[in-house]
Amino acid sequence: MTDFNKMSRRDFFTVTGKAGLATIAAGAVGVNFGMVQVAEAAVGKSKVSPFRFAILTDAHLFSHADHKFDAMLEKAVADCNKAKPDFVLYCGDIAQNGTADQLDKGKKILSKLTMPLKVIPGEHDWYLDMGAAWRGHFGPQNWSFDHKGVHFIGMNSILVKDFWTGAGMTPLERMGVMEMLESPLAGPWGVQAEQLDWLKKDVKKLASDTPIVVFTHSPLWDYYPRWNFQTSDAPEIREILSKFVRVMSFHGHVHQTVYNKIGNMGSVGTMSTSWPWPYPPVKQAYPEHQQLRADPGNFEDGMGSQLIDLESDFAGKMLYKPFAESLTPTMKNGFKI
Amino acid sequence: MKLTTKNRFNVAMALIAPVALIGLLAASPAIAREPFTKAELADQEKALLAVVDHGRDLWHGTLPSMQTNGLACGNCHPDAAASNPHTFPKFQANLGKVITLRDMINWCIMVPQVGKALDVNGDDMIAMEAYAFYLYRGVKIEPGLATRQTAGFDVKSGAGFPKKGSGVAYDNEKAPVLPVINK
Ligand SMILES: [Fe+2]
Ligand SMILES: [Fe+2]
Repeated sequence: MTDFNKMSRRDFFTVTGKAGLATIAAGAVGVNFGMVQVAEAAVGKSKVSPFRFAILTDAHLFSHADHKFDAMLEKAVADCNKAKPDFVLYCGDIAQNGTADQLDKGKKILSKLTMPLKVIPGEHDWYLDMGAAWRGHFGPQNWSFDHKGVHFIGMNSILVKDFWTGAGMTPLERMGVMEMLESPLAGPWGVQAEQLDWLKKDVKKLASDTPIVVFTHSPLWDYYPRWNFQTSDAPEIREILSKFVRVMSFHGHVHQTVYNKIGNMGSVGTMSTSWPWPYPPVKQAYPEHQQLRADPGNFEDGMGSQLIDLESDFAGKMLYKPFAESLTPTMKNGFKI
Repeated sequence: MKLTTKNRFNVAMALIAPVALIGLLAASPAIAREPFTKAELADQEKALLAVVDHGRDLWHGTLPSMQTNGLACGNCHPDAAASNPHTFPKFQANLGKVITLRDMINWCIMVPQVGKALDVNGDDMIAMEAYAFYLYRGVKIEPGLATRQTAGFDVKSGAGFPKKGSGVAYDNEKAPVLPVINK
């Protein structure tokens, strides 16, 4: 791999050509992309009417009655209703074991939101019945819409190759494999060819100065593949979106605050309402965006929701809303994406 | 001669040790010291990995009594990350005192998982401890304070994952040596 750290900024641009030609950077965990100031360019004629949206994610609801995670999702929903975003995005893992009752419970709690909701699936929602119950509750796995000058895209990033048929696994066993974060059986997941084609078509006619926001369950960069803190076809996604001046990517799955930037794409991880995953043992380009370690005795610490305020120049301000104080000074009053 | 504690011990050992050694030699032809044969070492390794494997299962929820709310250790500690066994005994801020890893394991079982504590010296507890320590092998022992340690080691598996599962989470080729990054 090219040693980016030893390269000058000029060399870097020579190698990558333009912002977003990111296949080179796909495996570049730990590279400091902070030196690339691509996102500062103004977004031409495309004007955004300023607005706010919210993100909730990773509730991991169990079937138990009155489970503590039910209460935390309820609390995040109540916080959202107070913050009055235009709409809420849910980034996957509503259920823990993908059962209909867990998805029912999630839908019921989320229906208390007083604004529209869009949802994408996580692996915990999907692998018991290959998304049948989830689709019944929340509709198509990928979608796009326009809102106040911004183009929003959601995709299902947790699709893996069939590892269960050959192994003669039951649906429950398949789900069990997917439930374990560090399970080596399932292999890396992605959005796969069909959704890549869909994405190409979806953005084909959009002008390059259109502000783009994309949602996936997993990060669109190679963060820590062993825990599927990755999307295997993220390089292709970044390539398709490389024509745009600026892209914001939001993802669930990591249960933690995390930030990265590759080419024209700023990438933000989100806090869950269930538990915080530890930071994987890799160096990060933006370590100041790591939340403080949670107090294990405080069941709400390390979790929360998030608000994003978009300005007229599509400069996004990211506001984590933790249930307990857990943000570094960099994140405390919001930061630019 | 005035017997201090130390030379009293030495005197006692001088009297007892040869007798004890002869007894041992007579009792068993298998001496529990080097040199071990390759076959003996392989058996030891097998025994250790079986316990680690059991610990890995317990860590991921195979013993129902360890919870009443569906949670397993692996929910917050994938690959035993952030369990930091090498830092115990340490001052645990949420408990306000110095505790052992076994104390911490039982605290997690009883409080966040609302389950029944393991026998602190039982086989299941040894297995839990073996799994955590096995994954942290190569990491410096560093009894410590409640710090910002959030992850212990890197489990490498090529570009991401091996083609087939090892059955145990330790699918890296060599011992992980990456130190804690977040002190
Ligand atoms: Fe999750
Ligand atoms: Fe997930």
